[in-house]
Amino acid sequence: MNTHETQAAQVFLAHHDFVRGVALKYAPWPGLMEDIAQQVFLEFMAKESQWDLSTDARPLLATMTRHIAMRQWRERTRQQPEVVQKLADHIRLLAEEREAPPRYEEEISVLRSCLQKLPEKSRELVELYYYNDIGTPQIADQINMKADTVCRALSRVREKLRECIERSTNQGGPAHA
Amino acid sequence: MPDTDTLIQHYLEGTLTTAEAEELHELLRTQPELGERLLQHFDMDAMLRATKPLVADNIIRPTLLPKRRFTFATVTSVAAMAACITLLGTWLMNAALDLRPEAEETTASVAVLTRGVNLEWDSATITPGTPLSPGWLKLKSGIAQIEFYQGARVLIEGPAELQLLSSGEATCTRGKLSAQVPPQAKGFRINTPKGTIVDLGTEFGLDVSAANEEVHVFKGEVELHQPTATMKSLKEGQAMAIAGNTAVLTANASSFASLNEIDARSAMSQRFQFEKWLASSSKLNADAGLRLRFDFQDDEGSRSLRNHAVNGGQIEDGSIVGASWTTGRWPGKRALEFRNVSDRVRLNIPGETKALTMAVWVRVNGLDRTFNSLFMSEGWGERKVHWQITRDGKVRLGIAGSAGAHHADHDTPVFFTPERFGRWTHLAVVFDPTAKEVRHYANGELLTRSTLKDTEALKIGIAELGNWNDRRTGGVAIRHLSGAMDEFALWDRSLSDTEIAAQAR
Repeated sequence: MNTHETQAAQVFLAHHDFVRGVALKYAPWPGLMEDIAQQVFLEFMAKESQWDLSTDARPLLATMTRHIAMRQWRERTRQQPEVVQKLADHIRLLAEEREAPPRYEEEISVLRSCLQKLPEKSRELVELYYYNDIGTPQIADQINMKADTVCRALSRVREKLRECIERSTNQGGPAHA
Repeated sequence: MPDTDTLIQHYLEGTLTTAEAEELHELLRTQPELGERLLQHFDMDAMLRATKPLVADNIIRPTLLPKRRFTFATVTSVAAMAACITLLGTWLMNAALDLRPEAEETTASVAVLTRGVNLEWDSATITPGTPLSPGWLKLKSGIAQIEFYQGARVLIEGPAELQLLSSGEATCTRGKLSAQVPPQAKGFRINTPKGTIVDLGTEFGLDVSAANEEVHVFKGEVELHQPTATMKSLKEGQAMAIAGNTAVLTANASSFASLNEIDARSAMSQRFQFEKWLASSSKLNADAGLRLRFDFQDDEGSRSLRNHAVNGGQIEDGSIVGASWTTGRWPGKRALEFRNVSDRVRLNIPGETKALTMAVWVRVNGLDRTFNSLFMSEGWGERKVHWQITRDGKVRLGIAGSAGAHHADHDTPVFFTPERFGRWTHLAVVFDPTAKEVRHYANGELLTRSTLKDTEALKIGIAELGNWNDRRTGGVAIRHLSGAMDEFALWDRSLSDTEIAAQAR
């Protein structure tokens, strides 16, 4: 790789979480975020000679990510039954109309420390489902519980992690509060 | 049909059946708040997937990628370096942080201010019921009663300066205090500039003035430790200067505030505040913009709340369902307790309002549900309003869009932390179309202001205090408040910062 290509790759990697955040906003479809981020990387690198790497890459990456996200979202949801397509449409509109900007970048680093604070059983559940790619019905079989109970437990874990992130980002209140 | 959590999980897992997709879509249409919840789960799900430890198959999924001149493989060195830096950074960060084994709620508080009479502070203002963290309390005037978590009860008389160190230790550098130390708090320590008093389960007084420091023992025994002298033991009825002349004196209990005294003065002060509130009510009721005011002073046993607003003719009295009567901010002040899923006060605010201010005195006992209602229009849509507290402690004014337009949520930062539970709090929210903003207040102080994109008039209609009826049959969302209210008012104009502050006094 020449120097400019290396620099372009470094620029992308420095903004990887930003790209993921934009992808989430424009393509709220399960499992799509990482595919979009990879595609943005490929297209960004394919045209790397055109980019002025001394300027802020965010506007460029945001535009690229938005286009790719919408394209991939359409491709992915087109394969779904009509009723699921309508649901996906509704959720995409909700995500786009959300007033808050994507906070993926700031939250992902906090999440890592929040994960360390989870009780052991919750951490095991995260490892089984998210890291070992075991589905909720299979987890339910393994631990002899109903699948719905596992779904609710995962939901609670995500809510606990959300609370932990909010707490961490809202620290510094009044001394006596 | 699975519950909402399961539906969301199936969506995230990509295993929604057609029927479940229909159900989830319907829920999202009828419960707009669910949309934000789903998106939060979606965001967290994506982040959790991204925290998967770096392994080859997680970095690249070649089958998904078309062939290009550049692939991740061509920049492995850069990616690997970045990954190493990230991992090293994460490891260092984790090592530097004091990670607790569980993400349980914690508090740094070591004591609580239980009562106060005519309190004026040189340090930050605190009110009875406030948990106290280690730090300085600088009391300008008045008497404050502090209960340490280890069990000792201390009265300080202003002017005084007390530094809380732990649940069993404090430093007094100025002023007078008296302490009552039960056996379980034996060993309670008070430091002064010239020595340390260790209590052996007793009652004593301490006077720290610029000229002298004296300890007076009213009951039991204390140890007096000084840097340059041997430890001295003082018994009931004895007093001694902490430095200088060490002659044993006679204890003088009458020169220190007693618990009986604070009982009497506290009761008097509460009565005064209640009378003051009663006296100001008629002026408040006559406000031209006031449309509704419940003072909750209806006859005990009454199942309705009278609207006292002089210009609130169109708004009928509220109807109490389930909620029971309890004591409000002061003895003699009545309040309604909301505890069960059925508890609510139903009312009707007909017509439209261009501007809106709502204020409530509320005691929140806990945030047990995703949304905890303060005041909510029945159902949702067409400029209805939902004033509520989210599970994470933010106060939210949700305003529905009209003609299918999206709704807007106006949130405060997290306000209700566990330390605030069980304390009377004044909340107010202002929908101000002139300034094009929504303002939230707590205890008379502005919490946040957010921009109002849609200033179209509001249509409250049938509404509920402390609960929500979403008008669906079966599976109604549970949003009742866990707590009490003892005053609620609604204006069809935007109150100013000063007016809100006056309400909260």
